[in-house]
Amino acid sequence: MTSKVNSRLFQELTNDLINLLENDDEHDVIIEAGEGENTRKFKAHYYILRMRSPYFRQALSSRWAIKEDGKYIFKKPNITPETFDTILRYIYASTIDVEKLNEVQIVSALGAADELCLNILVEVLQGELL
Amino acid sequence: MSSRKQPKGKIRPPKKPNSADAQFNDNWDRLAQAIREIHKKNASILSFEELYRNAYNMVLHKNGDKLYNGVREVITQHLEEVAVSQVVPAFPLSGASSSQTNPNGAGGANFLKVLKTVWEDHTTCMLMIRDILMYMDRVYAKTANVPLVYDLGLDLFRDTIVRSQNYPIQNHLLEVLLQQIKLERENEIIDRTNVKASIDMLLELTDASTKDTVYATDFENKFLETSSEYYRVEGQMLVGEYDAPEYMKKVDKRLNEEEQRVRHYLSQTTEPKIRNIVEEELISKHLKTVIEMENSGLIPMLRNEKMDDLGRMYKLFGRVVKGHDEMKSAISDYIRELGKAINETVTSNTTAEGGNAASGDKQTGATVAVRWVQEVLDLKDKFDKVQNLALSNDKAFQTSFNEAFEYFINKNSKSPEFISLFIDDNLKKGLKGKTEEEVDSVLDKTITLFRFIGEKDVFERYYKQHLAKRLLLGRSVSDDAERGMIGKLKVECGYQFTTKLEGMFNDMRISSDTMTDFKEYLDKSVLEKPKLDLSVTVLTSTFWPMNLSASPRCNLPPELTKACGTFQNFYLGRHSGRRLTWQSNMGTADIRGSFKARKHELNVSTYQMVILLMFNDKQDGESLSYEQIKGESDIPEADLKRNLQSLACAKYKILVKEPKGKEINPGDQFNFNNDFTAPLQRIKIQTVASKVESEGERKETREKVEEARKHQTEAAIVRIMKDRKTMEHNLLIAEVVKQLQSRFMPNPALIKKRIEALIEREYLERATGDRRVYNYLA
Repeated sequence: MTSKVNSRLFQELTNDLINLLENDDEHDVIIEAGEGENTRKFKAHYYILRMRSPYFRQALSSRWAIKEDGKYIFKKPNITPETFDTILRYIYASTIDVEKLNEVQIVSALGAADELCLNILVEVLQGELL
Repeated sequence: MSSRKQPKGKIRPPKKPNSADAQFNDNWDRLAQAIREIHKKNASILSFEELYRNAYNMVLHKNGDKLYNGVREVITQHLEEVAVSQVVPAFPLSGASSSQTNPNGAGGANFLKVLKTVWEDHTTCMLMIRDILMYMDRVYAKTANVPLVYDLGLDLFRDTIVRSQNYPIQNHLLEVLLQQIKLERENEIIDRTNVKASIDMLLELTDASTKDTVYATDFENKFLETSSEYYRVEGQMLVGEYDAPEYMKKVDKRLNEEEQRVRHYLSQTTEPKIRNIVEEELISKHLKTVIEMENSGLIPMLRNEKMDDLGRMYKLFGRVVKGHDEMKSAISDYIRELGKAINETVTSNTTAEGGNAASGDKQTGATVAVRWVQEVLDLKDKFDKVQNLALSNDKAFQTSFNEAFEYFINKNSKSPEFISLFIDDNLKKGLKGKTEEEVDSVLDKTITLFRFIGEKDVFERYYKQHLAKRLLLGRSVSDDAERGMIGKLKVECGYQFTTKLEGMFNDMRISSDTMTDFKEYLDKSVLEKPKLDLSVTVLTSTFWPMNLSASPRCNLPPELTKACGTFQNFYLGRHSGRRLTWQSNMGTADIRGSFKARKHELNVSTYQMVILLMFNDKQDGESLSYEQIKGESDIPEADLKRNLQSLACAKYKILVKEPKGKEINPGDQFNFNNDFTAPLQRIKIQTVASKVESEGERKETREKVEEARKHQTEAAIVRIMKDRKTMEHNLLIAEVVKQLQSRFMPNPALIKKRIEALIEREYLERATGDRRVYNYLA
């Protein structure tokens, strides 16, 4: 297969995953990012989070997480909704639109990626800053 | 979870930090408190997100080492408490009460149970601690080159609990484990789950210096030592108390138990080690004792054909180095012993009956031979069965058995003759009422004995003699059977071995054609027909076992001489340049005898016919003396005596001898027995047929064999030298031995003599420079 075909197919997967993140009603995790006024609830999926992030694998393990009404509720106050949105898109679809981010936004995404042990993302963002 | 309502104020967003230290202390206090809560199993009040963030911030602010050491301290402290409050109180009553197995066993089990709980709690807690300290593991532990926190927890557990410096936990643990295993070995039921938990724990812990498991460093050696001692004592006890089959069953059971034990609750790495110990203590050390057990050891098992026990011994002893060797040599010795006994009964029989055999007790000689072969075959059968049913057809055993058979079979110098006689016995017409298949299978077995014979050329000589008699006396059971047997011999020894035997068959066939032609010739001829039916078998002298130099003399009656002359003219007319010698010692005749009661047809040997015809000229009651018969017939003395015996001393007494008796002596008088009666019209007078040779004959055979060997040896030397032209003495000897050993084992002295004879006759010469080298002279 040519890389052109490959990237077209890969694009399909990316689109489907973003679609899942934005429009799916069958979510089983709700993550509340931010503090005070600046908070936002994100709908997410247990298996995707577990699969993509070691942090969430532990956070959502039976040792720590408890469901309410069939959904996990997780609060992440020290990450702003804007930054978390970037992170979550990366977690779902392995994409990040660095062109649209300014330096401050990149730095705060880098901090969040580091805390959540997203090592590849950390490397990519560090590369952007250099 | 943060969704849980936490007591307010416990978690505050960091206010303006007073200083980095204050921030650190605050973070650390919360974490230390959280770890304590985890240890108290209160984790549900904790928030993963906060604790993780605390640790994350500490590491981020370069306080990783403080965090790491703090964690180490908290865990150590906790484990010290666990040791005092849970583990030490569970110590089983030790020392004095250890002789009372039961309470101690129960105490031990309880101790293991406590330890199991402690271990499970620890690992569960460590998983949670690892979760919240994941960032420390990923960032700090890696760069500081220290163990990940979970492994740190294992090390702390090892040093604080399992190898505690403050309490004798290690001693108790090892003692209890070994105690539990000992109890199980003594058929007590133990709770394997508790033992397994402790063993698994020891397997998960690593020794810092050896990098091996604590199981391997602390437990395994002790386990193997105590096992060694245990089985050393048990081995001594068992050999004293049980017979061999029982002993082996016990050992089997032990081996099985230890294997099961390893599988259920020890490490697989221990399996070969403990197996070696049991094998060493229960098998290797008692090999000979068990093999030699008086009424139950290897020999009694063989004697009573205890195949199961033998099979068990084979399997069991095969586990250790010397096991099969000991068995093999014991069985081989036994075979030799049995073979020796068989040989001895034969020797004692032949010597005891030697006199009789010579005096015409026809059956005895052959019977001894047949019995000897039958007993050897039975023995072979027995050990084939053992081989098959108990020894998995082990080739090494087969080889050693074969050597034993070979040894004792060749100890009996008569074995080639006996085996040939045995075959003779089976190929003779209608003797045993056996089916062809039965005969064939017996002959197949006989071939296996034939393989063991060292002097195959001696066998060949006897076989030829016996075959000649069967063919000439028409006593072969069938051509097919004979040819089948020769086929078997050919397979064993090659065509050279059997060409002469096959030649004998050809002679028989050609003779039968010749006789048809002879009859036609007579019918067409104007000559006077012979007064009797003459049947002639023309034998090629080199194929048949005949002594041409001492051609048997005999004065034949005139009619017969005339008939012979007619045939001779006929035959030589067709084949010029041939010479016919009449072998009257090998012929038979059908004659009619008129007795008082009735007439009988008598089937007799040519010699017997000659003797009986003498009485035609005599009046009733007129007798002939031994000397008269001898003089008139000119039959060689030994043959004459034997034939007179057949006529006067055997089942059918055609002649009456004075004085009566079994022996024929000079001066004996013979009368025609007019009063002879027999139920059958046709009577066959048995001549002394196949029988074991007398000493004189044996010597003669031996000489012939030696003579033949000289020729074969010379032929081999010439063949080799013609090919190589030049050869060193020792190499030549080796090559000659190699070529001849399928027939007999030539001794070097014989070969040397033949070489010298060939040098004398100028086939070879010694090389001029080196007298150890020979040249071939074309």
